[in-house]
Amino acid sequence: MSARTRLVIIASAAAIVATAAGPAGQAPPQIPPPTQTITMKGKAPVSNAVLKVSLPKPLEADLPNGLHVMVIQDPRAPQVTIQLVIRGAGGYYDPPDQYGLAQFTAANLREGTARRTSTAIAEQLERLAATVTVNAAMSSEEATLNASALREHFDEVLDLAADVLLSPAFPEQELTRYKAQTRAQLQQQRANPTFLAFERFSRAVADGHPDGRMAPAVEALDKTTRDALAAFHKSHYVPDHAAIAITGDITMAAALKAVQARFGAWAKAGAPEPSVSDPVAVADPGVFLVARPASVQTSLVVGVQAIRYTDADFYAMTVLNKIIGGGPTGRLFRHLREEKGYTYGASSQIDARRFRGTWIASTNVRSEVTEAALRDLLDELRQAREIRVPDQEFADAKRSIVSAFALAFESPQAPVTNALTRWRYGLPADYWDKYPERIMAITQDEVQAMAKKYLDPKKLQIIAVGDRAAAEAVLLKLGRLQVFDADGRKIQ
Amino acid sequence: MTVSPWTAAALAAALVSTLAAAPAAQTGPTIKFTETKLANGLRVILSEDHTAPVYSIVVHYNVGSRDERQGRTGFAHLFEHMMFKGSENVGPGEHFMLIFNTGGNMNGTTNKDRTLYFETLPSNQLDLGIFLEADRMRSLAITKENLDNQRNAVQEERRQGLDNQPYGRTDEVIDELAYDNPAYEHSVIGSMADLNAASVEDVAAFFKTYYAPNNAVLAIVGDIDPKVTLEKVRKAFEPIPAQPAPPKVDMTEPKQTAERRLSLDDPLARLARVDIAFKVPPRTSEDDDAVRVLGTILSNGRSSRFFQKVVREQQLAANVTAGRDSAVGPGLFFVTATVAPGKTAAAVEAAVLAEIERVKAGPIEDWEIEKARNNSKRTVVGGLTSSLNRGTQLAEFASIFNDTARINQRIDRIARVTAADVQRVAAAYFTAENRTVVITQPKPATKGGQ
Repeated sequence: MSARTRLVIIASAAAIVATAAGPAGQAPPQIPPPTQTITMKGKAPVSNAVLKVSLPKPLEADLPNGLHVMVIQDPRAPQVTIQLVIRGAGGYYDPPDQYGLAQFTAANLREGTARRTSTAIAEQLERLAATVTVNAAMSSEEATLNASALREHFDEVLDLAADVLLSPAFPEQELTRYKAQTRAQLQQQRANPTFLAFERFSRAVADGHPDGRMAPAVEALDKTTRDALAAFHKSHYVPDHAAIAITGDITMAAALKAVQARFGAWAKAGAPEPSVSDPVAVADPGVFLVARPASVQTSLVVGVQAIRYTDADFYAMTVLNKIIGGGPTGRLFRHLREEKGYTYGASSQIDARRFRGTWIASTNVRSEVTEAALRDLLDELRQAREIRVPDQEFADAKRSIVSAFALAFESPQAPVTNALTRWRYGLPADYWDKYPERIMAITQDEVQAMAKKYLDPKKLQIIAVGDRAAAEAVLLKLGRLQVFDADGRKIQ
Repeated sequence: MTVSPWTAAALAAALVSTLAAAPAAQTGPTIKFTETKLANGLRVILSEDHTAPVYSIVVHYNVGSRDERQGRTGFAHLFEHMMFKGSENVGPGEHFMLIFNTGGNMNGTTNKDRTLYFETLPSNQLDLGIFLEADRMRSLAITKENLDNQRNAVQEERRQGLDNQPYGRTDEVIDELAYDNPAYEHSVIGSMADLNAASVEDVAAFFKTYYAPNNAVLAIVGDIDPKVTLEKVRKAFEPIPAQPAPPKVDMTEPKQTAERRLSLDDPLARLARVDIAFKVPPRTSEDDDAVRVLGTILSNGRSSRFFQKVVREQQLAANVTAGRDSAVGPGLFFVTATVAPGKTAAAVEAAVLAEIERVKAGPIEDWEIEKARNNSKRTVVGGLTSSLNRGTQLAEFASIFNDTARINQRIDRIARVTAADVQRVAAAYFTAENRTVVITQPKPATKGGQ
């Protein structure tokens, strides 16, 4: 907050700018973290005990066709939610000549079956205030059916979910309608600066890999045929590597019986376990501007390729991410918002998958402070690399992660989400029980090592979406700049 | 401390006792609570639920953007930000740190009528939540430095939410056009000029007038012992002095006599949009339930009339949403339709209005009424596991309706609405002279960036 602190930051930020643009520079002298806006008076009564919470675990079973069944009985409310995950049916497995086909297939499942029309499905579900949706994102390995209903409607809704998933008719007329609606959506999302920033980042960090694709091209949509949907469904919607997780006011016996009745005849295909590969390692830093005329803010996304979910680095990265950008206690929020007033929010996130995912810091700042905000953001990364996290901040971050398990206990979804994560990555049965102690065992040195290993300025991708006049000169100082328009066309 | 996972047996017992206490007339689960008024006028609602080792604390202040004076739009929300900048015993930024570092969650939110603060915490941190809320109600730290900092954050919030978004101006202008009474006419976020004008003196006066215990409802819900909790609450909050009741805002809205209409160009939009706002009665009106059922029939999900006709069959709109706002005073029912590429705003508007006329002319199908009933049931059931949901609802029913027990009538109230009621409110409020229409057209921005 003081003028002195600000001057120090600007001086050291100049060093990082040079580093990002060229070969690694000399480490500048250590300075205290710039986030001086917090005063801990220490008068509030805080319990030092951390509640040891053991989240409910599912009862599990396997059907002969390979479908894995997980049930968590939660009698707190008369409702049931269902998640059916099909590995191998996501956009990751799109054919190379039609990126988006997995997403189109998932969306069209609800548009009619042998027994029901599109309208009949919608009316039957919504009369019960139930939901059934199927999604398969462009970079996802999986297609996921999500369903929820009052307990009294569970059987009817599961029956409908099975019909949609296993017997889609893909009516021609509905596909035509879907295309028109989706064309509009594809156009509309280009008005959203966050979409544009993440789209460009994905391309920068994983070009040619499914993780580099955020949205389908209109051409891929236009050429989609009923037969293509049916063929993708036939070959990819198989139970071999699928799981159904059910939670709510239902017993394992009742749930298993219902699942067997609806999905027992789903034929095993003998499909091999779906495989994935990492995106090609990024060799150079990148600086990109997406020119979005009439913008009053610059949307910044800065990130790198980082880790797989199953990497040993996952825990230390989780702690590092919490320290840099994990919510209002993170350095980005405290520094860019609470100290400088550049933004409404600033945060960071890890996206870890079976393949090597990303670490991203992002914020939206008013156009005039683009340079200062970007400089300060980059300096947070430098500090994470060069300065050991202070003891109190480090202890707070770990405690924050571990003690949040109590709140997860309240959510009906959190135990299921955790169970599915364990299944998806083949993690041991006690994974979530051990998770808190693994977090607590992380050291400051390990966290700093993560920052040095992953937050490497030589691999950093910097994306800015906004007014070209406000951002271009700033970005040119950071390296070779590539400029795109909001339709994704390269303009420089 | 160790908390074991909930077991079916323990929970079943808890549910049975809850249900046994429910009056026979009510459908669905009953939420039990106690309500106490402290000597300083603070209303305290406690609701015990031991199914998770968690509690939520909610403070609902009866103040919103409707209470702002001219030239200070956006002030109630700016003030909300100040509530996180410290008080006598809490340093600036300490609130965030204390909540998140103990595994909790928190936020504040402001609308036209109320400002809400809440924390959800592990249940061993009960003292912390009570202390933080009491300390800032009693002794907010009002400094120019804090104000300037949060003014910046709020102005960025405005840019991020409105000025840098397609249709941002539309969302603001429709209220300005529809309302005559300044209380609801302006946006909650306020204008940049008014945010710049806000002073430390404004903050101090606002705090004294509106952040008094007698203008607030406190709800604590979850893994608590109500008796112990009430004692802690008394100790922390009862010494905070009451203030004279805040001035009552005149909310009366002159009757609209003719359609209002505006077109605007939006350089950030890609597709045209049609926004229609109908004036509807306050949430406290007897007609409100029927207005909500009408909203469900028109726009809830893919079976809704707007989706089936305007989006799916006629393919005029890319999407249509509709529903009433949360206004405690005279409200607006909004219909928002994004025009599909190659179609016209006029065609979309005509199609939307035709669907509303079709409701008035009937018939309304039985399944559509059943859908609305099941929707209300699911909403209630879906909120049962969340202490925060329960806390905000209890505080809201206490503050807005002065009838906390109404939380247990949500399902029944919707169940009483008939097709005839829906048609009656459609005919009464969804008329040409009672509507405001804003058409937004995409306008290509100047090349090169400005």
